[in-house]
Amino acid sequence: MSNVMDITVTVNGEVFQRRIEPRLLLSDFIRHELNLSGTHVGCEQGVCGACTILFDGMPVRSCLMFAVQADGHEIRTVEDLGTMEDLHPLQEAFWETHALQCGFCTSGFLMSILPVLEQNSGLSEDDLRHALEGNLCRCTGYQHIEDAVRLAAEKMSSGGES
Amino acid sequence: MTAKLIGKRIKRNEDPRLLTGQALFVDDVELPGMLHAAFLRSEYAHARLKGVDVSAALERPGVVAAFTAEDMGDAWSPGPPLVIPPPTIEEVEFYTRTQVPLVKDKVRHAGEPLAIVIAESRYIAEDALDDIVVDLEPLDVVTDIERALDSDSPLVHDDLEPNLAAHLVQEKGDYAAAREEADTVIKRRITIERGIAGAMENRGIVASWDNKQQQLTVWDTTQSPIPIRNGLASMFGLSEHQVRVIAPFVGGGFGPKIMMFYPEEVLLTWSTLKMGKPIKWIEDRRENFYATTQERGQVHDVELALTSDGRILGLRDDFLHDTGAYDPYGLTIPLNTQCHALGPYDIPNFSSDLKVVFTNKTLTTPVRGAGRPQGVYVIERMLDIAAKELGIDRVEIRKRNFLPNDVFPYDNIIIDQAFASFVIDSGDYLPAMEKALEMIGYEKFTKEEQPKLREEGRRVGIGVVSFIETTGVGPYEGARVTIESSGKISAATGVGTQGQSHFTTFAQIIAEQLGVDVRDVHLVTGDTAQFHWGTGTFASRGAVVAANAVNAAASIVRGKVLKLASEVLETPEEELEIEDGVVRVADIPTRSITLGDLAQRSNPLRGAVEPGTEPGLEATAYFGPNYGATAFGTHAMIVEVDPETMMVEIKRYIVVEDCGTVLNPLIVEGQIHGGVAHGIGNSFYEKLVFDDNGQLLNASFMDYLIPTAAEVPRIEVAHQETPSPLNPLGSKGVGEAGAIPVPALFAQAVENALGVDGLEILESPLSPQRLFELFYEEEKDA
Amino acid sequence: MKIEGEHVFNGSREEVWAMVRDPEVLATMLPGTTKLSQLSENEYEGAINLRIGPISGGFSGRVVVEDEMPPEHCKLVAEGEGRPGFFKGSGTVDLIEVDAGTLMKYEGEIQIGGKLASIGQRLIDMTSKTMIRQGMKVLDAALDKRKAQAAD
Repeated sequence: MSNVMDITVTVNGEVFQRRIEPRLLLSDFIRHELNLSGTHVGCEQGVCGACTILFDGMPVRSCLMFAVQADGHEIRTVEDLGTMEDLHPLQEAFWETHALQCGFCTSGFLMSILPVLEQNSGLSEDDLRHALEGNLCRCTGYQHIEDAVRLAAEKMSSGGES
Repeated sequence: MTAKLIGKRIKRNEDPRLLTGQALFVDDVELPGMLHAAFLRSEYAHARLKGVDVSAALERPGVVAAFTAEDMGDAWSPGPPLVIPPPTIEEVEFYTRTQVPLVKDKVRHAGEPLAIVIAESRYIAEDALDDIVVDLEPLDVVTDIERALDSDSPLVHDDLEPNLAAHLVQEKGDYAAAREEADTVIKRRITIERGIAGAMENRGIVASWDNKQQQLTVWDTTQSPIPIRNGLASMFGLSEHQVRVIAPFVGGGFGPKIMMFYPEEVLLTWSTLKMGKPIKWIEDRRENFYATTQERGQVHDVELALTSDGRILGLRDDFLHDTGAYDPYGLTIPLNTQCHALGPYDIPNFSSDLKVVFTNKTLTTPVRGAGRPQGVYVIERMLDIAAKELGIDRVEIRKRNFLPNDVFPYDNIIIDQAFASFVIDSGDYLPAMEKALEMIGYEKFTKEEQPKLREEGRRVGIGVVSFIETTGVGPYEGARVTIESSGKISAATGVGTQGQSHFTTFAQIIAEQLGVDVRDVHLVTGDTAQFHWGTGTFASRGAVVAANAVNAAASIVRGKVLKLASEVLETPEEELEIEDGVVRVADIPTRSITLGDLAQRSNPLRGAVEPGTEPGLEATAYFGPNYGATAFGTHAMIVEVDPETMMVEIKRYIVVEDCGTVLNPLIVEGQIHGGVAHGIGNSFYEKLVFDDNGQLLNASFMDYLIPTAAEVPRIEVAHQETPSPLNPLGSKGVGEAGAIPVPALFAQAVENALGVDGLEILESPLSPQRLFELFYEEEKDA
Repeated sequence: MKIEGEHVFNGSREEVWAMVRDPEVLATMLPGTTKLSQLSENEYEGAINLRIGPISGGFSGRVVVEDEMPPEHCKLVAEGEGRPGFFKGSGTVDLIEVDAGTLMKYEGEIQIGGKLASIGQRLIDMTSKTMIRQGMKVLDAALDKRKAQAAD
C-alpha cells in the first residue's frame, strides 16, 4: 500500500494539488504545506478552537481532520477574510473593541463566528455568548470579543461585505 | 503638556497583522533544511534511570539523530538558577537544585525529558520516540507537601533529607506579644492547589547555527530573550554578539515562558551547534501540562490576632510552598505570598515561617499572580472570619484596618521578591473600596435584596475584597528611539510581547513626546539584535519599567529635535512646538521643518560633525526603579449558587483598579478582564489533579477546565489613578491584578450565598463537588 | 481505580478453577491479547493491544498468582507497561458454590500512569467494565465447550 495520496483542495478560492501522507493533519497541511500560517494550533485535541477553519462553509477543527479528508472540498482560512489594508467588517470590529491581545486564538474565533453572523441576525446576548463558547481565550476574558461580535453584526447588517 | 495620547483609548498598532494571519509566531518559522525534534519523556514521576537505548530510533528512516544525557558529555549540567534567594535575608536556608537538560541519574517528575530525537518531520520524530527503549526502575513517589517533610518520605533529591528546598522566617514587630494582648485570636488552615498558565500557544523553539557565518539564531516563545541570549552564549562559549534570540509574536506568556533554561532551550541549541542544521521543536498541549511550569500549591497555618473592635494586632502565617521537583526560581513566589498577606492593611506585628518543599511534580515558577493570590486569600479569609466572630460587617472591618493615606511610602520591613524591604510607594484604599460598594449596590443588596432572595429559597451572595499588587520591579529596562529620514519613528526595547500591547502603549508614549501619529511609530520588542540590555516581562513591569525607559529615550530625542530645530529655524527652543511630525515656530506656522528633514540634517553626508556630538536624532535610555510600585484595588461580586447542582452563576462583577497613570484604558480593561477570567478559573474550574503516583490525571483541556465565554461574566471596571511617585509616568503595573483577588472573593461570596452557619471555605479551588461536600457536612452537623 | 464485580458460571468450582488457570483460555479472554504464556506454576506473561478512547497501543505485562487455595481463592498481582502508559495492581478472586453453579467474586485496585491516565480518565472505568464483561462471556463459552468435550 502506498504511503502517499494525491489530493486536490480548493483553499481560499485557489486549487491546490498535493501529494501527502494520509496521516497528515489538515492543520499541518494548511500551515506547513500551503504556508498559510494564520491558522494556529493550540491543543490538537479539538477543545481550544484556535485551528478552526471553514470546510465547505462549516466551521471545523482542522486539528481533528486529516488533509486527505479535504480532497475535493473547499476550505477557507483567515487569510481569505481580509488584508491588512482591507479588513473584513468582522476584523475591523475586533480591532475597534480590542478583542485580541496575543492574537493566537483570534483566527479561530473569526472563522467560528463568521458563519454565525452571516446566517443570523438579531442575536441576543445569550446567543452570542453561546456561540463563543467553543473557543478558548486566555488573554481577553471574552468581554471585548463579545463587544466585537455585536459590533460586527451591526456593521454586517448595514451593508458590510461578506 | 496636556496628554493627547497617553490615557486615550487608542486601538492597537499590531492588530491588523494579527487579525489577518500575517503575524509571525515561532511555529511559523520555516527555514531551508529545517529538522524537527521530539522529546521522549518519562511517564513515571520518580524512577531511577538504568539505561536509554536509542539505536532502534536511529534506524528509522527519516531520523537524523537521537541524543541522551550521555551524548552531551561535558555540555550536560543542571541549571543555572534563574533567581537566587535574596542575599538580604539573614539565615535563609536554601538548597539549590535546578532542572537538568536530559535525565541522567533519576527522573524526578513525570514529563522529565529522557532523550531527544531529531528527524525530517515532527511526525517521524514522534514515531521514533516509540522506538527508544528505556529502562526505568520506578521509585516511591511523594506528591503531598506535608508528607514530603516526613522523615520516611521518598527523597526527591537523594542528597537532601528531608525534601526541604528552603526555610526562612520573616518577622515584623513582635507577634507573640501582640497575641498576648489580643481580644480574639483566630486560627485556621488554608489550602491552595496548583494551576497552569494555559497560554493558548504552547512553547516552541527554532534554533539555527550557521557555521559559515558563525551565528546562532534562536526563535523562542520566551518572555526574556536577553537573559536567554546571554545565558546560551555563556553556556556554549560563544560571544554574546554571535547569538540572536528572537521572541516574535508570542501567544500568551503569563509567567512560565520565563525560564532559564527549559531543557528544550538547552537541547535545541546544543543540537544545532553539533549538527549545523536548523531544528524546530513545538510543544504539544499534553506536554505543556507536564513540561511547562505550574504554580499555586501551598498549605497555610494562619493566626490573626485582633482587638474586639476588629483592629489587627498581628498576623502569623506559617506555610509550606510546593516547588515541585526543582527550585530554579528561588523564593520569589512565597516571598510574594508573605508580602501580600499584609495586604493594604496596617499590620504592626507579623511572623511567617516559610518552608519550601520538593515534590515529584512539575516544577513551580510564577503563574499570573505569582504567589500574590495566595497571600491575598489568606488575609481576606481571615478578616471575613474575624468579622463574623466579632459581629462586625466585613466591609467595616477592612476599613478599620486600611493603611491611611499619610503613611506612604510605607515600609513593611519584611523582604520582598526584589530583595529589598517591602515598601508600598502609594495607596488610596478607601475610595476604591467605596466606589466598588457603590457600583455593586452593597447596602441595597445586603439590606433589601438578599433577604428577599433568601426568603424565596435562593442562595445569592455578595463578596467584596481589597488587595494590593507589587508591580514594576527592577532591575531595569532600556529603549532606543530614532527618528528616521522618512519622519517615521523606529524604536526598540528588550522586553518581549505576549499580548500586552507594547506596540501601542509604548508608541503612544513616543508619539506624545515627538508629536507624531501613533501609527507612525514602529516598535521592535524581543529581538536581541535590535536591543540587548534588559530582563523581560514578569511581575507586571512592562508598563512601568520599559515604558519609562521608552519615555526617557523619547524625551531625550525630543530635546535633540528642539535643539537642532532651534538652530535650523533660528528661533529659541521655547517658541517651538512639534505637531503632526513637523516642528514649527509657535505663531509663524510657515517657519517649520519636518522631523524627517531634521533627521536628515542631523546625519550629514558632507561637512563635519562636531566632536562630542552624536549624529542623528536618536537616544537610548534606561530606567530602573528603586523598588516596585504597588497597585491596588477592590473587587466585588454577586453570585448565585444552585443548591442542587452546586454550580455557580456570577450575576455581577465589579473591579475598581488603581494602577497609577493609565496609558491606555482600553488595554488596561483588557488586562483586567483576562486576569479576572483566569482568577475565575483558579477559583472554581481549574485544578491540576495529581494521583499518589505523581500522575497528572487531567492533562488536557477536556479535563482541565479553562473558562469559556459562558463562565466569565460582564466585568464592570472603574479606574482610579493614584500616580506612583517612583517613575516619571506615574504608572504601576496591571497585568496580574485581575487574577489576584478572585479566589478570595469567590470564597467570601459563595460562603455568603450558601448562608450556612459554620460553613467555612478555606481552600481553593472550589468545585461543585466540593461545595456539595461542605454544604451537606454542615447541614448534617447542624 | 477500583475493579470489582461478580459472575455466575454454569459449572463446578473445580471446573471453573481449572479453566481460569489455563493459559490457552486466558489468552482469549481479554480482547486484544496477542500473547499469553505461563512462565512457571504461578507466573504468566503476556502482551495486549488496547484502545481506550484516543489512546491505543501495546502493553506487555506479568501476572503472579499468590495465596492460592484451590478451588476457593487466590490473589493476583499484575504489572505492565507500554506505549500508552503503565499499570500496577492486585486483586482477589473468590469462587463460591451456589445453586446455579459457581459464583466468582473479584475485587482489586489498579494504578494507572502515563498517557492513559492523563487523557483517558473518563473512559478507563467504562472500558475496563466492558472488557471484563466480554471476558466473562468468553469464559462462559469456554466452560461450556470444556464440559461438552469432557462429556464426549
